[in-house]
Amino acid sequence: MSERIFYNLLQVVVVMAFAPLVSGVLSRLKEMVQSKRGPSIFQPYRDLWKLFHKDEIVSEDSSWIFRFTPYVVFVTPIFVVLLIPVLTSYPLFFAFMGDMLGAGFVLALGGFFAAIAAVDTANPYGAVGASRTRMVGFLAEPVFMIVFFTVSFVAGSTIPYIVQQKWVTPLANFFAPSHVLLVLAFLMLILAEGGRIPVDNPSGHFELAMIDESKSLEYSGRGFALVKWGGQMKFFVLLCVFLNVLVTPWGLAANQSLGAVLLAVPLVLLKIFCFVLVLVVIESSLSKLRLFRIAEFLGAAFITAVAAMIAQVFLG
Amino acid sequence: MSDATRELLQNLNALAAGLFLLTAFGIVATRQARGCLQLFIAQSLLLAASAALLGLRFDSGHLYGVALVNLVSKPIIVPWLLRKVAPAELYTRREIDQALNIPITLLIALALTVGAYFLGVPLANAVGPGYHGPNVPIGIAGLLLGALTLTVRREAMPLLIGLLAMENGAFLAGVSIARDLPMLVELAIATDGLIIVFIVGVLVRAVDKQVGTTAVGELASLREGPARRSGPGADS
Amino acid sequence: MSVVWILLPPLVAAALAGIPLKRSLAPGATVVSCLLVLAGASRLAWRVAAGDPVGDALGPGWSNWVAVDGLSALILFLIALVGTTAAVYSLGYMAHGRPTPGKLRLYHANYNLFIFSMLAIPIVAEPTLVWIVVELTTLCSALLVSFDNTRGALEAAWKYVVLSLLGAGIALFGFLVLFAALHAGGGGAYTWAGLVDAAPRMPAFLMQTAFLLILIGLGTKVGLVPMHTWLPDAHSQAPSPVCALLSGIETTTILYVILRLFPVMQGVPGAHAEKWALVLGLVSAGTAAFLLLQVHDYKRLFAFSTVEHMGIVLTAVGFGASAADYGAMQQIVSHAVTKSFCFFAAGAVLLAVGTREISAVRGLIRRAPAAGTALMLGGLGIAGAPPLAVFLSEFVILKAGLARGHYFATGLLAVFIVIAFFGVMLHLNRMVFGQPEGPVPPDTDGASLPFSCRLTLVLAALPVVVLGVYIPKPLHDLLAQAATALIR
Repeated sequence: MSERIFYNLLQVVVVMAFAPLVSGVLSRLKEMVQSKRGPSIFQPYRDLWKLFHKDEIVSEDSSWIFRFTPYVVFVTPIFVVLLIPVLTSYPLFFAFMGDMLGAGFVLALGGFFAAIAAVDTANPYGAVGASRTRMVGFLAEPVFMIVFFTVSFVAGSTIPYIVQQKWVTPLANFFAPSHVLLVLAFLMLILAEGGRIPVDNPSGHFELAMIDESKSLEYSGRGFALVKWGGQMKFFVLLCVFLNVLVTPWGLAANQSLGAVLLAVPLVLLKIFCFVLVLVVIESSLSKLRLFRIAEFLGAAFITAVAAMIAQVFLG
Repeated sequence: MSDATRELLQNLNALAAGLFLLTAFGIVATRQARGCLQLFIAQSLLLAASAALLGLRFDSGHLYGVALVNLVSKPIIVPWLLRKVAPAELYTRREIDQALNIPITLLIALALTVGAYFLGVPLANAVGPGYHGPNVPIGIAGLLLGALTLTVRREAMPLLIGLLAMENGAFLAGVSIARDLPMLVELAIATDGLIIVFIVGVLVRAVDKQVGTTAVGELASLREGPARRSGPGADS
Repeated sequence: MSVVWILLPPLVAAALAGIPLKRSLAPGATVVSCLLVLAGASRLAWRVAAGDPVGDALGPGWSNWVAVDGLSALILFLIALVGTTAAVYSLGYMAHGRPTPGKLRLYHANYNLFIFSMLAIPIVAEPTLVWIVVELTTLCSALLVSFDNTRGALEAAWKYVVLSLLGAGIALFGFLVLFAALHAGGGGAYTWAGLVDAAPRMPAFLMQTAFLLILIGLGTKVGLVPMHTWLPDAHSQAPSPVCALLSGIETTTILYVILRLFPVMQGVPGAHAEKWALVLGLVSAGTAAFLLLQVHDYKRLFAFSTVEHMGIVLTAVGFGASAADYGAMQQIVSHAVTKSFCFFAAGAVLLAVGTREISAVRGLIRRAPAAGTALMLGGLGIAGAPPLAVFLSEFVILKAGLARGHYFATGLLAVFIVIAFFGVMLHLNRMVFGQPEGPVPPDTDGASLPFSCRLTLVLAALPVVVLGVYIPKPLHDLLAQAATALIR
């Protein structure tokens, strides 16, 4: 019992510790693919350390939302980490506190606050970014829903741990057409929600073209550090849901010993880095979509998800 | 063969069929002519894969022949023939504006897929016991989506690919329910596909030269209506 | 003599047409090959009418691929007949536009390939091969339809190709389901005869689906409503001899493939193929009759009339009586000779006047008497006026329908025929006898018809007139034999 609480908290610590590393590896690999040297993979840690030690400047015209949002954005992924399988394949202490829909809503809460705070400062670029993020968000919602419903339909439950046990564990399911289509749909979703090419350019500096980045333009110092870290943790959480529940639920600790759980940490990181490789390939081969084409992109994701649902219902 | 191998082959076949469906959606929705052709090539490869897998599963040398014929004629000979016959402008076209925008077209495609499943599953069951897999419903879906492509697209390349994709869909279904079709027939159908490409290429070249556009789906001047003075004049 | 040799002359002529020798080599080769085919087909038809079995002249191994019975012999004979008259007509007609030698050779090569593909359809017995040959007919005639290379002709050819291939794709799936049904019923030879034998064992759901898919898919090529939208365009934009082939015999040949399914469906318990045929036939006849009333182009007029006649034949088969089947066969014959004559006449008018618009042509009887008379005769013939061929066959069909008890359907069919009659006569009357309304466009210099066109008009008019009063005994036997092929 106490072990379960401990492992749950260990999950949070792991996510907090390694989320910047994933971000660092991603940007380093992207640069290497472009034949540049790229920053060190530990650079995000140094950035966070630097930002925590800088002064914070807050606009006088902004309200409490602007000051409150960095904490919301930082804390919501942590709540979600408590709900999803990161290191273990059996449910932990907080696992039944919320299901996948609940996790989705909690993440949406963070996004909501980030969007309002962007409008709060009266910086026009913030408002532009906020409205674009909301557009991407609402187009991505149906895809989330369909994916979760299909997966829960098969597993008979919406709790991620139970879904993970039933979804791919019989190896035959891995090749089923519904599985492949769902993986594709969720991949397109990660690209959209994580602000990756082809939806958004995460390393761009041109404010008029930004979607996600412009929401954090106004932050500085500690607030900025929390927003950055929260963003990296949200991406890590999405990857965990994708990899540990949908695609490759292997390598997670099956029994309750500390050794097994600690062994799961490098295995999970290995899975995530493999996926980061795939992501780098995708990002380097596609170009950013024009804004109104994002609707078509997410429409295609929706169709893929519904096709997966049809295939599951009629053939499963 | 063991049950596990059988299961694996069936699952791989289901995977190929699922990706086939995805390419069919892609053909309906993609804007670029070149992308359309690439999706068609992918679709033909998946069809050959499905035929080969079912051949392994049912130990039927016949299906290997089908896979080989499909592998040679569609991904290799069709693009080569098209390069020779069709005007070069065919490859560079994009559909900028369409009669129906892409999300709505995709929704209609989805509805057609559901219809295909409703028709295909009883059909596959009526053929008899034995494994049929998702081939029949997805094949019918491929057929219907090819027909949808013919209806909504206006550029010549997607229209041609839609025609060929319909045959691919019919074949995907046929590979699982009509396994012993004579090889002569398979070869003749493949040759037929090549002749289609040839004739369409010649026609599109003529249209391009005469009318000045490869958007052949837009030609719509022949209809009942008030007599057009500029209409058929002194033709022979 | 085996049946397959009949396919050889058109292939040889097509190959010869590819050789750039004398200018008259290609047209001459076409005519000679068509005459050879006509001789072979007539002999075959004679033998079949006399009751000889022709099936496996090449040996037992071929019976899985090639088979000929009464219906096939009839269709073969008609293809040969219309092909020959159209080939003679093209001699004069195509020379009129003064095409380059290359284009003329292309025309004749395509023409012969088209004839070849049409001839193969009644001979081949394996349904999927038949499907392949059906697609070949589309592909071989596509370049013929676009021959004029005007915008209209290219558009018509494009719509023709796309819609026909769309229908063929659906029909391919239907044939595959048919194959699956055969195997689900325990196997057997996949030929028309084998299907008829195996019919009671085949699952009804599969057979129904296959029948509907093939009806809709191939019905697109036949021109049944609502898949007919390409037909008025293609059958009016093509050069007139090609129109005669397309309208006169090609749609009928595709209809033959659909008709082959009827004896099979009769053996399947719970299938009602006849009802589908009845409904679809009536819808086609009716829609065409109404659409006929507002055409602006006299070749489109004849094209819509083709749709109507295909509907009439299908309705006759749908009545389900052997007398109606005989009437359907007779209608096929009379339609083939009359429609080809109509298009020959239309071509003559086009040569004389230079435009396809109805409103631009008035008083043809004064301007170009030969063309005018021919047009009038053709119009009367196709509309079903006595004592010409079509009237007799339509009368037989209506009588058989009433005898069978389909009062409503027969009445409806009669109404449609009358409407079409009015439509055709309205337009043609004005064209041939009317007073000019506005300024008259000057006559083209081709006011005098080439000799071969006049010869063809005279020759083609003979069956139209003769078959309206008297059906020779061999023909009657052939029709009776063909009608039995529709019954199990």
